[in-house]
Formats: sequence, C-alpha cells, structure tokens
Amino acid sequence: MRIDRDTFREILDSLLRNRSRSLLTGFGVFWGVFMLMLLSGGGNGFREILEKNFEGFAHNTCIVFPTETTKPYKGFQKGRYWSLNLTDIDRLRNLVPELETISPLMSLWGKSVTNGDKLITATVKGVRPDYSNIETPKLVYGRYINQMDLQDTKKVCVIGKKVYKTLFPEGGDPCGNMVVMDGVYYQVVGVDYNEGNMNVNGRADEAVTIPQTTMSRTYNFGNEIQLLCFTAKEGIQMADILPKVRGVIARGHYVHPDDEQAMFMINTQVLFGIIDNLFKGINFLVWLIGLGTLLAGAIGVSNIMMVSVKERTTEIGIRRAIGATPNQILWQIIAESIVLTLVAGMMGIVASVLVLGAVELGMTEDGILKATFQVSFGVALLAALLLSVLGSLAGLAPSLRAMAIKPVDAMRDE
Amino acid sequence: MALIELRDINKTYNNGQPLHVLKGINLDIERGEFVSIMGASGSGKSTLLNILGILDNYDTGTYHLAGKLIKDLTESKAADYRNRMIGFIFQSFNLIGFKTAVENVELPLFYQGVPRRERHAKAMEYLEKLGLTQWATHFPNEMSGGQRQRVAIARALITKPEIILADEPTGALDSKTSVEVMQLLKQLNKEEGITIIVVTHESGVANETDKIIHIKDGIIGNIEENTTHSAWDGSVMK
Repeated sequence: MRIDRDTFREILDSLLRNRSRSLLTGFGVFWGVFMLMLLSGGGNGFREILEKNFEGFAHNTCIVFPTETTKPYKGFQKGRYWSLNLTDIDRLRNLVPELETISPLMSLWGKSVTNGDKLITATVKGVRPDYSNIETPKLVYGRYINQMDLQDTKKVCVIGKKVYKTLFPEGGDPCGNMVVMDGVYYQVVGVDYNEGNMNVNGRADEAVTIPQTTMSRTYNFGNEIQLLCFTAKEGIQMADILPKVRGVIARGHYVHPDDEQAMFMINTQVLFGIIDNLFKGINFLVWLIGLGTLLAGAIGVSNIMMVSVKERTTEIGIRRAIGATPNQILWQIIAESIVLTLVAGMMGIVASVLVLGAVELGMTEDGILKATFQVSFGVALLAALLLSVLGSLAGLAPSLRAMAIKPVDAMRDE
Repeated sequence: MALIELRDINKTYNNGQPLHVLKGINLDIERGEFVSIMGASGSGKSTLLNILGILDNYDTGTYHLAGKLIKDLTESKAADYRNRMIGFIFQSFNLIGFKTAVENVELPLFYQGVPRRERHAKAMEYLEKLGLTQWATHFPNEMSGGQRQRVAIARALITKPEIILADEPTGALDSKTSVEVMQLLKQLNKEEGITIIVVTHESGVANETDKIIHIKDGIIGNIEENTTHSAWDGSVMK
C-alpha cells in the first residue's frame, strides 16, 4: 500500500465523517492507555517512596544481639544474661567464611552534644569503618570513620544531618570544628545526610558516630559489644548460614546451641523479600488492569469498525466497482483502525505524562524530587508500539469482512 | 475480433433453488457501437451487465473483452480490468456522499496510483467537458439528479475505458433530464467514438441507441438495427 497524503486523507475522511462515534470509540483506547500509564507510573513512584525508607541499608544484613538464656547449658542455669564481645568477630570470620562484613555497633542514647551555646540531644554510635557496608552514609562534607581513627582511638566524629543543622545553623563545612560530649572534645570529620528510615539503634540524622575503640575506652565497654551486624557474601542466602552463625556465637558463650531466644537475630533479607513480593504483586495488578482496559478499548474499536464496514457496504462496493483491489480495501480499513487507536492512545500517553508530571511537581520539595512518577520514554514507546499492534488486530476482522464485499452485493443493496 | 465477444455464456444462481438465468448468450459488440440491451425485469439483463462489467462470474462459455479472455480472474486482476477498461454509470449514480464532485471523479485514478496534481487536473478537465466546472467542490447532495449523473459519467470517462456500461442511466431522472443524459451519451459516442452499452427496460431510452438487443428469459431475442431511431414513435416518453 502506498503511504502518502492521499491515503492518509482517505483515512481521515472516513474517520471524521462520524466524528462523535470515532471520538467515543477512541475514548475507550484513550482511557486504557491513560490508566495503564498512570498506574504503572504511580506504582513506581510509590515503590520509590517506600524504598527511600530503606535507602542506604544493605539488603542482606543480619543483626544479632544477646538476650536472656532460656535453656540451661553446661552447668549454667537458664535466665542468664550474657553479652557479645570483640572476640566473636574473629571467631565468625574464621569459622563462617560465607560472611562478608562483620561489624560491631554500640550505642548510647540521650547524650548532650554542644558546640558553643548550641545543644542537641543525640545518639552516640561506636562503629568500625566497615560499618559503612551495612548503613551507607551519604556524606556531604568530609569523610567517614577510617582505620587510622580506629587504631589510634582518635576523638573524631561524623555527625548526622539534624545534629549538623542544630550545632552549625550558619551552615558551611563544619569539618575541623570541635563538638563536646560528656566533657570530651571530638573533632568533626564528616557530615552524614542519610535520611533513610531504616537504621540500627536510632536515626542516622540524630547520631554522632565515633570510632568503636574510642567508644569502648571512653564509656568503659571493655571487650564487650552491644550488637553485631553482618552481611553475607554475594549469592549466599542469609537464612542458610544463620544456624552456623548461631552455633559459633553460642559455643563461645556457653549458650545452648538450640536456644533460639537467647540470641535475637533480625534478617533484613526476609523483610526486603516481602516488600519485593508486594511490589511484584502490585505491578502484576497494574498491568492486568491496564492491559485489560486497553484490550476492552481495542475490542470496542473492532466492534465499531465492524459496524462502520457494514454501513459502508455500498461505498466499498462502489470503490470495488471502479477499480479498488481487495487489498486496497483491506489496508484502508486496517489503517483506519490503526490511526484511530494510535491517535487516541497517543492522547492517552500525553495525558498520563501530564498528570504524572503534575504529581511530580507536587512531590518536589526545595527543588529536590522525592520520587519519580513519570513513565520512561522507553515505556511510552513500547505503549505506542503496543497500540499499533492492537489497532491492526482490531482492524483485522472488520477489514476481512470489508474485503469480502463484492461489488454486485453493494449494487443489490440499493 | 469484436471488442466484446460472448460465446455461449451460461449462468446459474444457486440460492436454494437453482436459477438458470443466462441460457447460452452469444453476442458481439464492435468498437464504437452504441447499443442498448432491453428486457423486462427478470430477463437476465442485469446479470448480463454484471458479467460484461466483470462484477460477476459466469459458469460456462467465453467472454473476450478487447481480445482478453475474462474468465476466472483473481479479484485484483478483475479490479484492475474494471478500472482500466470499463466505465460504469449506475441508475442511482453511486457517487460517494462525503466526497466532492471532483474527488469522486478522481477516485478511479487514485486506485491507478496517479499523482494527486495530475489526477486533479484531469478530473477538472472532464468536469469542464460536462459543464460542471463550477460544481467541482460541491457534494453530491448539493446537486440535482442530472448533475449527479453527469459527475458519474465524468468518473466513468476519466480512465479512458474501452466500454461504458450504463445500467438504467435515466431510471432516477425526470424525463427532461433523461433526454439530456441520453443526448450526452449519444454525443460522446458520435464525437469520441466511445463504445456504450445501455441496459434499460424503457423503449424511449433504447430508441436513442443505434442497436437494440432484446433479451428474454435468459436468451437473446432479436437484434434490432436502429440507426434511424424509429423503433419507437416517441408518443409517450415516460
């Protein structure tokens, strides 16, 4: 078939002849695409908002901390309190090679931190440098705690966003300045803007992070630690190695290896798995609803084209009598269907992009976008392609019927 | 060889009860003739016209049009022959309602793939020949019956066909316009030498043609030479 201005005019002529009908039919397709785009964009945005909460937190982390024993073991009665210590780190590293990062964490809450006349109540956290593998800091100034700080028990700290805003309201790089906590001066070496809602032992934006050795010495922890965080190596399921971890720790502390309640373990992989599945489900629903609506629209187009062909029997008969080949008729009807579907669908894409754009505008704070709702160009392109396919499929049955119209039948129709 | 050569054409419709409509038609029509096919309704004249116009198939026999055997053609071949060799004029004009006069006239050329400008110029030329220049951009429903039929004639002529088939061309027209249309066809035949076949049941119309072929019950009756146009006394033209 020739694709030129004439062919296109023929198509437009017949579509515009029944303006309101074309409009209403097109609306079905429009709505289908609009819903599909809107739902998938909205679903993505929602997901991003939720994922923001877990931002900067390793997905394969496990956190373990000791509680009261519930089983007697090796001469110890049940109901005993015990604690983890730094030796556990070495033991785990030697005996459980599947672990990637093993990092201790200790915290003290409600510490007053001052800078001159500015004061804030913050959480102090003692960490090792590799803790950044568990909770990734978003450093806007300076650096994180490093190995030198740890070895030399340096009095340095990384402060959270809220701490920074309160103690240094004038802004600017605070690194090199001193803050005071419990009468000890710490030099600020970094500012952490991590705002994720998933943190261990208190929000990151209200935390003052210092080297673990400094923490142990200043607050007399000795060899003890409060909790251990570890991540599994790539490709290893945390749940598979947890019993091994439990056994190693239990042996070191005379805790019954089967005493599950003596050791509290939080496996984030399970948590993230649940959320992942939730979004898979939402995505599935979005596509089911969107594609269903779109399909209903396409069937509407097919139906109307069928009626249109029936109505135009005479016209098609005339065209055939004066020399149109069956193929020319076939293509004309299919092209009409494609144009109708595509134009309506494009409007749907444009409308959904506008609405999603407006949503994004509403979600923007201080010029920073909270979550992307907009559909990508690729998705829009895919939708357009899908529309063309749907349009031609919708036009297929009516065009075959049109092709079967014999000129004689048309004349007899008078 | 004659322009149209029908040899023992048989046609049976099988709609429930078989209906033998054409029972061995033999007919020759020479180039440049102006003939009419006359018969009562049900005589098979419309079927004959459909076969002549390659709109319908026949069962047995042969039909040669301008030396080409017209039998068991594919749909697209038939469409191509119709487009290039035959011009149709219908009783109810059969113009496309949402197209202007000039667009209707252009349509056969559109299916030939003639460029738009050339097509338009040609259509305007034919409209002018039929005195419809000022009606070119009007839609069929804005025109009188006579004007519509003249647009249809222009459409039939534009591909320079071998024959013009007119199926009751005056059936929907008043008597005055009927005379005008017949005069027009006669003029086209005389001046341009176009072969014209008119199917009608009206003696007055048939009388305008040079040869009258009577068809009755699916066979050809007598063929009347009518060069003097005196086959009918003209007392009750409609």
